[in-house]
Amino acid sequence: MPGTSEQIARLREEGLAALAAACTESELLAAKGRFFGKKGAVSEILKGIASLPAEERKAVGAEANRVRAELEAVFDSRLAGIREGERLAREGRDRLDVTLPGRALPPGHRHPISRTMSDIIAVFRRLGFSVQGGPDVEKDYYNFEALNFPPEHPARDMQDTFYVESRDGDLVLRTHTSPIQIRTMEKTRPPVRIIAPGAVYRSDSDITHSPMFHQVEGLAVDRDITFADLKGLLTEFCRMTFGPGKPLRFRPSYFPFTEPSAEVDIRCVICGGSGCRVCKDTGWLEILGAGMVDPAVFGFVGYDPEEYTGFAFGMGVERIAMLRHGISDIRLFFENDIRFLSQF
Amino acid sequence: MKILYRWLKEFIDTRLPPRQIQEALTMAGVEVSSCRFLGEGLDAVVTARILEMRPHPNAERLSLCRVTDGTSEYGIVCGARNMNAGDAVALARVGAKLPNGVEIRKAKIRGQTSEGMLCSEQELKLAEESAGIMILGPETLPGKPLADALGLSDWLLEVEITPNRGDCLSVLGVAREVASITGEKVVLPDASFPEGEEGIGSLVRIDVSDPALCPRYSARVVTAVTVAPSPDWMQQRLSLCGIRPISNVVDVTNYLLLETGQPMHAFDLDRLRGRRIDVRAPREAMTFATLDGAERRIEPGMLLIWDGEGPVAVAGVMGGRDSEVIGGTTRVLFESAHFAPASIRKTSRRLGLSSESSYRFERGVDPAGTLYAADRAVALLSRIATVRTAAGSIDAGGGSSFSRSVPFRPARAGRVVGRAYTAEECREIFGRLSFPVAEPEPGEWEVTVPPYRFDIEREIDLVEEVARLSGYEGIPATYPVSKAPEFSEDDRFADRLEQACEFLRGHGFTQAVNFSFVSGRNLEKLAQFLGYDPEDALRLRNPISEDTTVMRPHLLTGLLRNMSDNVRRFVEDVRLFEAGNAYGKSYADGHYQEPRLGLILRGRRLPSGWSGGPVQADFYDLKGTVDALLSHIGAGPPHVVPTRARPFLSEGKAADILLHGESVGWLGAVRRELLAEYELPGAVFYSEIRIQAVLAARQEPGSYRPLTKFPPVFRDVACVFPAAIPVGDVLSMVREVAPEVEGATVFDVYTGEKIGEGKKSVAIRVKLQPFDRTLTDSEVHSIHTKIVELLENRFGGKIRTS
Repeated sequence: MPGTSEQIARLREEGLAALAAACTESELLAAKGRFFGKKGAVSEILKGIASLPAEERKAVGAEANRVRAELEAVFDSRLAGIREGERLAREGRDRLDVTLPGRALPPGHRHPISRTMSDIIAVFRRLGFSVQGGPDVEKDYYNFEALNFPPEHPARDMQDTFYVESRDGDLVLRTHTSPIQIRTMEKTRPPVRIIAPGAVYRSDSDITHSPMFHQVEGLAVDRDITFADLKGLLTEFCRMTFGPGKPLRFRPSYFPFTEPSAEVDIRCVICGGSGCRVCKDTGWLEILGAGMVDPAVFGFVGYDPEEYTGFAFGMGVERIAMLRHGISDIRLFFENDIRFLSQF
Repeated sequence: MKILYRWLKEFIDTRLPPRQIQEALTMAGVEVSSCRFLGEGLDAVVTARILEMRPHPNAERLSLCRVTDGTSEYGIVCGARNMNAGDAVALARVGAKLPNGVEIRKAKIRGQTSEGMLCSEQELKLAEESAGIMILGPETLPGKPLADALGLSDWLLEVEITPNRGDCLSVLGVAREVASITGEKVVLPDASFPEGEEGIGSLVRIDVSDPALCPRYSARVVTAVTVAPSPDWMQQRLSLCGIRPISNVVDVTNYLLLETGQPMHAFDLDRLRGRRIDVRAPREAMTFATLDGAERRIEPGMLLIWDGEGPVAVAGVMGGRDSEVIGGTTRVLFESAHFAPASIRKTSRRLGLSSESSYRFERGVDPAGTLYAADRAVALLSRIATVRTAAGSIDAGGGSSFSRSVPFRPARAGRVVGRAYTAEECREIFGRLSFPVAEPEPGEWEVTVPPYRFDIEREIDLVEEVARLSGYEGIPATYPVSKAPEFSEDDRFADRLEQACEFLRGHGFTQAVNFSFVSGRNLEKLAQFLGYDPEDALRLRNPISEDTTVMRPHLLTGLLRNMSDNVRRFVEDVRLFEAGNAYGKSYADGHYQEPRLGLILRGRRLPSGWSGGPVQADFYDLKGTVDALLSHIGAGPPHVVPTRARPFLSEGKAADILLHGESVGWLGAVRRELLAEYELPGAVFYSEIRIQAVLAARQEPGSYRPLTKFPPVFRDVACVFPAAIPVGDVLSMVREVAPEVEGATVFDVYTGEKIGEGKKSVAIRVKLQPFDRTLTDSEVHSIHTKIVELLENRFGGKIRTS
């Protein structure tokens, strides 16, 4: 069909003129629609190409595609130009002040005790421990007797106990989270690997003692659990909690329900060991108590101490939170002053 | 307990200096919490003598002293007047830095040169106050370091003894501990003295009627002594260790208590009626006046010391008035006994009476050491006073061997500790401890434990000795090999609670933690507003204060207190939550404790901003949070129904929160009287949720529903109802009208003149969503008609047309 190439050339001229004349995005789009959009004139020519003689098809098709590509390139650059122009025009009129505060309810804050407790639990769960809870109004049996505190034993003095009025007179507010050890072992056979968080109570009140505070207890019982394992686990815990490069020290100590027992000190986080008020010039801070489960405790829950060994450890949550945040008065935790809480 | 280093050295000639003793003991389990030089800051202060004293030429109140330190003379300007020429004084020479921080310099005072300072006790921190300068004893030689002259060239170690180590409550005990670390030898000080003619048997008769409670009773008698103050050195040691000096006889018993850990009692022999002693518990209750002047009620079973006519002491706890050593005492019976620890503990607790003696007896006093201590007491007294002594001693129960044999397997130690211990290593450690070892079977040992080690009865106790004395630092750090544990119920609980806390934090709530105990008095005062019978609360028998007498029955009062405190500190918008237990009596188990989540809210919905005026938060803000919270933890939005059963909430603004028909908590505006009590202006909204009940209603997502390809249709209906109609009920019934009704929401509520008194207009948008087809106009119309009929017939509504 003679004239097809002329037609294409004319469409090219007209298309370029229409694009050049367009001043807005919509005029530009209209021009595109008319000349080289899906249903534009160039596309129509391409659709009609099938009716051309075979020898012309290739040349006409190539020519039409070339013109369409050219028009599209011009279109793109015109569009960018128009948009840039509009942006410049808008400037100073409806630009946003992005520094104005956003519109939202500001988030609240987690209590530092709860946050610290969650962090401790998270570490031990990663190390393969599962959470166990227990009641804080507890029977004397679980709080003392089954933990190898015989009646009248001076070790009971270590923990000034609150007693609860009750029919049988055997209820206390637990003085530690250790009763959860007994409750857990009573209902499960080894292997046992638990972490037990909770509130505990002792009749003591000053700037470092609160009548209610929080502990996290851990217990692992199985064949071949050793004191060396306890050392390894707690070393890992301290690294994850206080960061690397803080030496630990295991010191022999005494708890009725573990033997051998240890107190664990960390290199003072305040002075780094050179001696300060917080560590009382020792360079060390006591952070937890631990030891191998005493065979007498296994006796109370029916585990054979010749077959099983285990370790237990316990730490004060407030103590760790105080060290992490440099808080010197434990009472701040329970005043619930938002100026304090909002720092966490 | 306080230990003086030099005193310790009298029992063990250790090569370790004080600081190393501190470290070594601490790392062996006997924690030394402090170790300080008593003469701290006195190093540049020396003794001196005043040679001459005259008034300062230019100052009335000052004097000029010429003093000597034995080698040189110094001119000193001094403001005090309590001294004379010839007195021995404490001289701080130029360059000295005093404990109170003052540095001594050469100075010109009103034209006169002062080459040092004469110090007062206060300036040397030896006393809180002092009237003038310190005047030393006339025998003091000049030129000695002041610390030496005052006996302060010593170190004081503060030792923390765990309850199992009663054997360490003495200089001797700590010396044994040092020996078990270093392998050095403990040497007992000489306890011999010249005995008199008169046999003890003719002076006093001693019976022990209750040998089970008193396995050993040793005694010595001094037949002539003059009661007088003890020498300075003894008084000073007692004072430094926290015991008040009284007289030579009493001081000797206290000195022995500190030195050997053996509590002793000195009786005035002539005040023991019938000059006899019996040790037994009374069969009937009685009263007895102890040394401190109190009348004590003695119950059967409490061990007493009796003379010929009645009780003279509560055994091991405290003596009585009528037999104590007094000024005119000349003949003294020294009691040195071993009482059964449990018995003393019980008596001390029942009487509410604790003493240095009972403290040690409770923890175990060496039954093998009683006679040595009695001998040493008399020997010491004979050294500090002129005495005549009776010949011989009484020693009831003295024939017994109190040591015991404990089995031990070195392999067991290795299994518990996780590090191999060789037989040689174990033997060497037991050798340092003076525990003889026998090996009847290979690997099965019999270890003989001396009687003072009350803490060693079982193999594990010996394992601990081996572990601690070989050093914990040598134990490797391994990692426990064990199967991963099951995921427990409590793990899930902890996870959900953590989710809830984080959700609330994200919604502007700050977490509070309050004590689980509250003031019972406050609970009683507010009982009618709280609708709580204080009789149902769990009470403490021994609360620490008025504010902590009962276990809280709910979280409300704590959060109201927190809110009030914060409002008082100018925080206007307060959103708090707390996760904690509520407690109370229950008929089934005597008591219950239940984890709850409390939410409290007041103030503005959003902080005042630039884009809108402040809007006060209301009931629906809290309700929205609760709905979203329960959905967030997977328990679905709850059904909230009006309630009158929560008296602490305002009538008409109180609701119960239901999940599957069960109440899981409540929600509403806190009643006015409670707000007044906590001085809270404006409205406060409160919700408390029973966490376990919510988690029980939780549903895991089940099989998924296929998604429809067909478009939904929305229809809006506006309807005027009587004001009392609950919109929640309307919505739930609209949702039931046809299976195609997928949702119904309220998009407007209006009350006002236009629609008349007692009415409300509610606009509802209904979403119709068939699964498998497009709804036809007639289907839509039919459902719409059903809805209109429901609103009009069931709820008395009138459809608005415009």
